[in-house]
Amino acid sequence: MSLTEQRPSAVSAALAQDRLGVPSIVFFVISAAAPLMVVAGSVPTAYAVTGVIGVPLAFLLLGGVFSLFAVGYVTMARHVVNAGAFYAYAAQGLGRTQGVVTAWVALLAYNALQLGLYGIIGSAAEPLLLDWFGGSPPWWVIALGAWALTGLLGLLRVDINGRILSVLLVSEIAVVLLFDLGDLFGGARNGVSFEGYSPAALFVPGVGAALATVVAGFAGIESSVVFAEESKDRLRTVPVATYLGIAVIAILYSISAWAQTVPTGPDGIVKAATEQGPTLVFGQAAEHLGGTVATVGSVLFVTSSIACMIAFHNTTARYIFALGRENVLPSVFGRTSARTAAPISGSVLQTALGLIVIAIYAVSGLDPVTKLFFTFGAFGGLGLLTLLTVTSISVIVYFSRDLRGETAWRTRFAPALSIVALLVIIALTLVNFDTVLGVAPDSPIRWILPSIYVVAVVFGVVWARVIRATRPEVYAGIGLGAQAAAGGPR
Amino acid sequence: MYFVLHDNATGHPHLHSRLAGLALAGGVLAELMLAERVTLDLTSNPERLHAAAGEDGDDAFTRRVLGHVVAEPYHPVSTWLLFLARTAEAEVTARMIAAKLLKPPVRHLLKHQPPAPADMSTAAWPLARLNLAVQRRTPPNPRDRVLLGLLDAAGCAQRVLSEHDPRFVAAVIAMLPAPMQRLVAQTKAAVGQAVLSRR
Repeated sequence: MSLTEQRPSAVSAALAQDRLGVPSIVFFVISAAAPLMVVAGSVPTAYAVTGVIGVPLAFLLLGGVFSLFAVGYVTMARHVVNAGAFYAYAAQGLGRTQGVVTAWVALLAYNALQLGLYGIIGSAAEPLLLDWFGGSPPWWVIALGAWALTGLLGLLRVDINGRILSVLLVSEIAVVLLFDLGDLFGGARNGVSFEGYSPAALFVPGVGAALATVVAGFAGIESSVVFAEESKDRLRTVPVATYLGIAVIAILYSISAWAQTVPTGPDGIVKAATEQGPTLVFGQAAEHLGGTVATVGSVLFVTSSIACMIAFHNTTARYIFALGRENVLPSVFGRTSARTAAPISGSVLQTALGLIVIAIYAVSGLDPVTKLFFTFGAFGGLGLLTLLTVTSISVIVYFSRDLRGETAWRTRFAPALSIVALLVIIALTLVNFDTVLGVAPDSPIRWILPSIYVVAVVFGVVWARVIRATRPEVYAGIGLGAQAAAGGPR
Repeated sequence: MYFVLHDNATGHPHLHSRLAGLALAGGVLAELMLAERVTLDLTSNPERLHAAAGEDGDDAFTRRVLGHVVAEPYHPVSTWLLFLARTAEAEVTARMIAAKLLKPPVRHLLKHQPPAPADMSTAAWPLARLNLAVQRRTPPNPRDRVLLGLLDAAGCAQRVLSEHDPRFVAAVIAMLPAPMQRLVAQTKAAVGQAVLSRR
C-alpha cells in the first residue's frame, strides 16, 4: 500500500462533494448585495438626497477601488481562514487588540446595514399592497412583519436555500436589465446624455454623500472569503468569485443608475427621484414596458429586500457567535441552538435591536426611507469603508513579516493603493456627512454619528486590554473564531 | 452516545442533523480511542490519528473507519471529524439495529417513524447516569466523562441534561486524558465551524 499517497484520497474526495464552486459563491455574494434593492432603493435615494448626477460613475469608480482592495484581501484569505474575516485579519496582521477593535466596528457597521433595511421594506411593499388590496398599513407594520420573518428564519437557521436564491437572483438581474432597456428605448425621446459618466457631474459638493451610499450598495461582496474553507479550490475559487462578483455588481449598478436618468434627462433625475423615491424605477418601467413587468419588479423588490435582510441578519448573528466562541463577548453568545444549529443568542440580540429601531422610528414619525434606510446605510457604509481600510493595512503588515510566496503587487502595492483611495473616500464622506443626513452643515448630529465609531474603537481598546489583563488565555484566542475552542491550528 | 442524542421512547433526534453527525463522529473516534485502537498524536501539528488495522472481531463500520485511517494517516483530526460526520448517523444507526439496540425504522406512505430504541430503559440509562452525576456533583466513570464532554462540545448539554452546570462540566472535561481533551476541543471547534458556515 505504498502507493496510497499518490492515489486520490477517498476522504478528500468525499468531503469535496460538499464544496462550493465559483458560481455558487458568486450567487451567495451577489444576493447579499441584493441588486434590485440597490437599483430601486438606494440609487433613487442617492439621487434625491445628494443631488449628485454622477452616481453611475461612482459605481464604476468604487468597483475599481473594491477590486484593488480585493487583491490583497483574497491573498490574505489564502493564508488566514476564518469565518469573521475582517477582525480575524486585523487580529493576525495588526495584533489582537486591533482585532477586537475591528470586531466592534464591524458589529456596528453590519448592524446599521441590517437595521436600515427595515426602512425600505415598507416602501417596497406599499405600492403592491395598494394595488392588490386598495390600501396599505403604515410602513412600520410592514417592517414589523419583515422583522418577525427575519427573526424567525434566523432562529430556524434558514439561510435561504441556494436554489431559491439563484432563481430570485437571476430574475432580479433580468428585471433590472429589462428596466434598463425600457428606459433606454422608451425614454430616449429627449436624446441620450452621458452626463452621469462625466467626472464633472460626480465631483461636486455632494460627492462624499453619493460615495457613501454607493459603498453600501457593495456591502455583502466582502463575504466571499468566508467561503474559503468550503470552496473547491482555496487558491482559485474565492479570488475568481470575488472579482467576478465585484465586476457584475459594479457594471450592473452603474448601467442601471445611468438608465434611470435617461427618461428624465440628467437635469430631471434629482427632482423625479425626490418626488417618487423607490417607486421611480417601477413607474418608469410601467410607462415603457407595461404594468405587468412593473408588478413583477415590485414583487422581486420585496423579496430582494427580505433576502438581503436575512443575509445581513445571519452575518451579524454569526459575527456575534464567533466572538462569543472566542469568549471576547460573554460565552452566552457562543451558544448554539441544539435543534436548529443556529447561533441562537446572536440571532435573538439582532432581532431585539431590530424591534427597538423600528419602534423608535415609528413613534417619532421619522421618514423611514431617507432617515432610516439611507442614514443607516450611509453610516454602515462609512463603517465598511473603515473596515476595508483597516483590512488593507493588516494585509500589508501581515505579509511584511513573511511574504509567504506572494507577489509584491498583491501584498504591498495593491493594498497601499486601496488604502489611499479608501482614505480619500472616507474624507469626502465625512466632509459631506451633513448632506447624507439631510441636516444643516453646522448640525452636531453630523459629527455625532461618525464619532460613534470612535467610541467603538476606544471601547474596543479598553475591552481588549481588560481581557488581556484578566483572561490571558482568552486574549490568546482572539481572531481564531470557532477554532478558538481547539486553540486554533497550532 | 446515540441514546442520549435521541428521545428514549420515540427515537426522535434532539439535535440538528449536522451537529448530531459531528457529535457521533466524535463519539466513534472516542470509542476507538478508549479501546486503544486509535491514538491521537499530540506531538504532530496538526494533530493526527494513528490506527491499527481492523481485526476479525470488529464490526463492518469499525473496520471501515480503521481502514480509512490506516490508508490516509496524514489527515488532521478535524478532517476525520468532518468525514465521519457525513455518514455517522446512518452508520451508527445501522450498527445499533444490527446489535438489536434499535428497532428498524418504519416507513408508511405518509409517516416516517425513526428507528426507536428496542428497550426504553437501556436507552434512558446513559443519560440517567449523567444526570445523576451532575446532580451529585460527582465525576462519572471515565467513559461517561467523554460522553459528557462531547455533549457539551455539540452544544446540547443544557438541552438534554436535567440540570446544567458549566463549571462541573468543565471540571469533568479537565479530568479527561490529554488526547481525549483534544478530541473534545476539536469536536467543539468543528461544531462552531458548522454553525458559522453559511449552508
